[in-house]
Amino acid sequence: MAKKKSNKLINFVTNPKYIMVLATIGIFLAIYLFGAILYGDKGFTKLRTFAMLFVDNAYIGISAVGMTMVLITGGIDLSVAAVASLTGMFIAYGTTVLNIHPVICMVFSILVGILLGLGMGALVTYLKIPPFVATLTGMFLARGVCSLISRDSISIDNELIDKMAGWKMYFMTLKNGEWVKIKPVAYINLNVVMFIVMILIGTYILQKTRFGRNVYAIGGNEQSARLMGLPVDKTKMMVYAFNGFCSALAGIAYSLYVKSGWNLALQGGELDVISAAVIGGVLLSGGVGYMVGTFFGVLLKAVIPCLITFNGTLSSWWGKIITGLLVLLFVALQQIVMHGNLFKKKKKTAPATKKE
Amino acid sequence: MDRDVILTMRGIEIQFPGVKALDGVDFTLRRGEVHALLGENGAGKSTLIKCLTGVNKMDAGKIELEGKEIRPTDPKNAMDMGISTVFQEINLCDNLSVAENIFIGRQPMKRGQIDWKEINRRSNELLERFHVHIDVTRPLSQFSTAIQQMVSIARAVDVDAKVLILDEPTSSLDSDEVKKLFDVMRDLKAQGIGIIFITHFLDQVFEMSDRMTVLRNGKLVGIYNANEITKLELVSSMIGKDLDQIFDLKRAAQKEDAAMMLEANHIGVPGKVEDISFGQKKGELLGFAGLLGSGRTETAEMIFGVTKMANGDLKIAGIPVKIGEPMDAINHKIAFCPEDRKRDGIIGDLTIRENIALALQARRGMMKPMSRKEQDELADKYIKLLAIATPDAEKKIKELSGGNQQKVILARWMATDPDLLILDEPTRGIDVGAKAEIQRLMLQMCEEGMSIIFISSELDEIIRCSNRIIVMRDGKKAGELNGENCTQADIMRIIAGEKVGETA
Repeated sequence: MAKKKSNKLINFVTNPKYIMVLATIGIFLAIYLFGAILYGDKGFTKLRTFAMLFVDNAYIGISAVGMTMVLITGGIDLSVAAVASLTGMFIAYGTTVLNIHPVICMVFSILVGILLGLGMGALVTYLKIPPFVATLTGMFLARGVCSLISRDSISIDNELIDKMAGWKMYFMTLKNGEWVKIKPVAYINLNVVMFIVMILIGTYILQKTRFGRNVYAIGGNEQSARLMGLPVDKTKMMVYAFNGFCSALAGIAYSLYVKSGWNLALQGGELDVISAAVIGGVLLSGGVGYMVGTFFGVLLKAVIPCLITFNGTLSSWWGKIITGLLVLLFVALQQIVMHGNLFKKKKKTAPATKKE
Repeated sequence: MDRDVILTMRGIEIQFPGVKALDGVDFTLRRGEVHALLGENGAGKSTLIKCLTGVNKMDAGKIELEGKEIRPTDPKNAMDMGISTVFQEINLCDNLSVAENIFIGRQPMKRGQIDWKEINRRSNELLERFHVHIDVTRPLSQFSTAIQQMVSIARAVDVDAKVLILDEPTSSLDSDEVKKLFDVMRDLKAQGIGIIFITHFLDQVFEMSDRMTVLRNGKLVGIYNANEITKLELVSSMIGKDLDQIFDLKRAAQKEDAAMMLEANHIGVPGKVEDISFGQKKGELLGFAGLLGSGRTETAEMIFGVTKMANGDLKIAGIPVKIGEPMDAINHKIAFCPEDRKRDGIIGDLTIRENIALALQARRGMMKPMSRKEQDELADKYIKLLAIATPDAEKKIKELSGGNQQKVILARWMATDPDLLILDEPTRGIDVGAKAEIQRLMLQMCEEGMSIIFISSELDEIIRCSNRIIVMRDGKKAGELNGENCTQADIMRIIAGEKVGETA
């Protein structure tokens, strides 16, 4: 029995499907441990520090859920940050200038996000425009509309938004029979809840539904997926629509986070989202990736600037440099795992077909 | 006819622009029968299959499955009716697990969720039946082509197939794997599934099939029982020519006194091929035999500069040369047709004319573009010379059959008028007629003074064409034979490692 279990473990670890995710988690733990040893005395290991990683990056994480799905189909979406920014503009302008109820603004934003997603999905699916180009046009469109609404930053002045943004769930501890906030104060907010819920939903969709499995099949080999009778076009449309939804939701989270709307907000944010997913082990060529990987990718990307802050002497640009190196590392790892001889893939399948 | 008939196709007609792809073809399949569908490339086999799977719409004719008339609209629709196809190229997703590949799109669900346990359990069961014992949770990419082929068959039959179409299933399998596949086919046959078997390996046709239907130029030539026809009769019915005409090829005359074209002295790349020496005279056809992986292709790639040779030296016409990259080789008037034409040879979206002009244009350089008229003349000349079956030179090359694609690539290099032409498996995957045609062309070019290095896995064609044969084994030259008086057994003995009297 014990032997069987260890076999299972070995199988799990050596299964190339999981290697990237395990690498992400491993690197995250290593970096966290590194920080704990160096800056443990400065409070790096405190729960507050950890919780703030979530609070400060939840909007990236929410968007990364949709991006993960798009990347798994073998696509890419460059419009996410622009759509999120547009959502921020809708909410700021709608609530503060037009005095519309914030819930209506949010629902409207989400509908617009889904619609934009469907539009770009249609370009990709039916007109066969490369996703890079199709979503680039989406990005310009969304940015353009942002500037059309206002070129200045609008700060949000709305009671409900304040309430939502201010809602916090504190970590408590039992002291002398009473629940008290732990010190230093650690909390999560609505954005973090949305992030975690979206990760769970994303995991469920990808692992437990036919739609989710079709997403993987399309990324693996679209032609084969078609010949196996899978609804390829419908699936791709839904993936882009879902990503539009995630972008809008990320926009809502972002406006709760900064409580303002600005046409130039989140410039280059799409690259943060994509790199978080890539660091999380999602294959840019499609077909491979896990939500849990993306989750740790977001954390890993967040913990680096945090470490640099704790160091205090390093320039914050080191954060970008290290993130860049991590992306490079993961892309290289993808090449080795997927195309190299690491698993004798070539050796086993090739002799019969190619290469002497 | 009788109750055993499961599928009838009657009077099938399909019109493509300019050609009648199928002209009144009949086909019947019985329960538990392996029925071979034969014909040259372009005879209409694939069109008939595509018609049955709903890819192509028929213009006239009737399809009956178990006595009921059907009109498949697409492959999924055909599959739902019980007609499953396993294509030559494996159409699975190799990033997914084996089990998932079998069940994707029709996964068993439990409480609205995919029931992974059930998927893995049933996949295991299914593959056990095929005597495949593997971990079905592993990604498909980790398994050999043969296993992948089994998986796609498993998927095809698990949908409750009545008719199973196997389109060239053995073309990428080795002989052990083929044997395994045949066992599976016999199992399926015993279960009463009707199998349509398409292959260009005649041995396999005779080993496996009960009946054969032969098509030629979109027309039905005949339906034969396997035990009532000989291989030669079958071939001649497929090509419609006299057999003598095909197989009576005259080997190029020995060039005893011709000048040396190529001399290789101890060339090699450590780890791949080592210490290869040979000489080739002008107008000589030099065959390279050996198993896959024995170093035949590597040697060719070294001569052409695809891989840089680490040791040894080359002489062309007696003068030492350095070939570091393909451009050097091209400048020395060497041409190379690689083995995998889909990957390294054709550019699918370009026309025949463009594909032919490619190499010649490359040698002339960017600054001297060929005029349209020159290109047209060139293309027309070779289309005529090589008898490439196409309405005109402006057809995209990917729309041609394999044999015709191969001829276009041959034309591309012939157009550069090389002194030395290296052909790596030029006849793989093409039918008998086109094969003979290409062999005839090679010999003709040799007569005209071109030297050819001919690499092939098929011993009979090597023996038939070569003046001399170099046999490779494990990255080394294992022997050299005179083409006139050697037999397949001689070559096999060398490959197997037995010493034979070498004739240099």
